Amino acid sequence: MKEYLKYAVILFLLVLIQKTLIWIFSVTEYSITPDIVLIGIVYTGINKGKIGGSLSGFITGLLIDLMSFSFIGLMALSKTTAGFISGFFMNENKIDKYLSGYVFVVACFICSFCSNFIYYFIYFQGSGLEITDIFLRYIIPTSFYTMIFSVIPVIFARKKMFRR
Amino acid sequence: MKILFTYIGNFKEYLIFSALIVISIILIFQNQNIQIRFLRAAAVAVIGTVQDSFSFIPNYFKLEDENKTLRETNLNLSVELSKLKEAKLENIRLREMLQFKMSMPIKTVSAKIIGKTLIQTRNNITIDRGTSDSVFSGMPVITDKGLVGKVVATSSSYSIVQILLNKDLKVSSKNQRSRVDGIISWDGENNRIQMKNVSKSADVLVGDVIITSDYSNTFPPGIPIGYTVEVGTVDNLFKKIEIEPFVNFETLEEVFVLTYLPDEERKELEKKYTKKLK
Repeated sequence: MKEYLKYAVILFLLVLIQKTLIWIFSVTEYSITPDIVLIGIVYTGINKGKIGGSLSGFITGLLIDLMSFSFIGLMALSKTTAGFISGFFMNENKIDKYLSGYVFVVACFICSFCSNFIYYFIYFQGSGLEITDIFLRYIIPTSFYTMIFSVIPVIFARKKMFRR
Repeated sequence: MKILFTYIGNFKEYLIFSALIVISIILIFQNQNIQIRFLRAAAVAVIGTVQDSFSFIPNYFKLEDENKTLRETNLNLSVELSKLKEAKLENIRLREMLQFKMSMPIKTVSAKIIGKTLIQTRNNITIDRGTSDSVFSGMPVITDKGLVGKVVATSSSYSIVQILLNKDLKVSSKNQRSRVDGIISWDGENNRIQMKNVSKSADVLVGDVIITSDYSNTFPPGIPIGYTVEVGTVDNLFKKIEIEPFVNFETLEEVFVLTYLPDEERKELEKKYTKKLK
C-alpha cells in the first residue's frame, strides 16, 4: 500500500510540474515540451506491469484533462495506452536492469510515440493540418524530447545501483 | 464456472485496459468541440458505409412489416383508384347528359334512379323526383341514348317509371328510314322489344332505327327507341320485327323526365270515340 502511495505521490508531483513549470523547457516554434508524466507512467508500467501502467496512465491522464479544462478523456486515452504498452517491458527478474539501462529509454520513446500519436492525431482533427505535418511538428519531436529526458531517471537508477 | 473465471483471469490485464479505453472514449465523446464533431462525422460515415455494404442481407422481420405496410397501402390505393374511376365515369356521364339537356327543346328534369326491377314481366324503375319537382304521371322518360319509358305514379319526391321492358307499355313508333309505322311492345322473354302491326309488305331492314311517331299522344315524336336486329314474318299479314333498345336498362343510372304531358282534349276525344265503338 505504501508503495502504491509512493507512486501516486510521484505521479501527482510530475503532473503538477508538467502543468506549471515544464514550459521552461519548451523548444521550437511549436512549443514542444518533454512529457515527464509519461516517463513516470512508463516507470510504473515496468515496475507494476500492464494493469499498473494502464491505471496510472488513466488516472494521471484524467487529472491532466481536468486541469486543462478542455477535451476531457483525450489525455486519459493516450496515457492509458502508453501505460499498457509500458507493461510489456516488465520482467520481474530484470526490473532494475531495465530501469537503469537503454530499455527504459527505448520504452519511453515507444510509449511516448504511441501516446503522442493518439493525442495529436485526434487533437488536430478538423484543423486542416496534414498528417505528415502532425508527425514532423509534434509527434516525433515530442517523442524524442521525452526520450532525452528519460535518460535522467536512468542516471539516478544507475547511481543507486552503484551505491549498492 | 471456475474454468471461466480462470480464463477471464488470464485476460484481466486486457479487460481492464479495454474498460479504461472505453471510459476514455465515452469521456471524449461527451465533449462538444470541433474535433469531436469531426470524429462523429467520420464515425457516421464509416458506420454508414458498413451498413450500406451489408444492406443486401434481408431482414426477415423488417420485410414482414414492410410487406404488411405495402399490402395496406395497396388496398388503400385500390379503393382510391376505384373511387377515381367511378368519379371519372360519372363525370363523363353527367357531361353527356348536360349536353343532351341543353340540346332538348322541351324542358327536362334530371333524376337519379334509386330503385329498379328487371326480372319481372312488368319492370319499373323508381326515380328521386316527384310532383314537387314538377314530375307528373304520363310524362316521358328518356336518356341521351333514347327512350326509357313513362311516369306512371308519383309522390311528392319520388316517381315510378314504366320502362320499355314492361308488358303494359305500348309506344307508337316509326321506322326512321322508310317511315313505316308500328307499335312497340315487349313480350317479356328477353331484353329485346318488338315492333308490331307492321304489314308483311312494309320496307323494314335489319339495322333500321326506330323512333317515336307523331301519332303518339304520350311521347313527343322523334325520340330514338332502338334498331332492328331481326326481321321475319309472323303470319301471312304481319312482319315479326325484333328491336334492340338503345338504352341499356342493366346499367342505367340517371334519366331525364320530359315535362311533356298528353294533350287532354285529344285524349278525351279518342276515349269518347273508343267508347262509342264499343
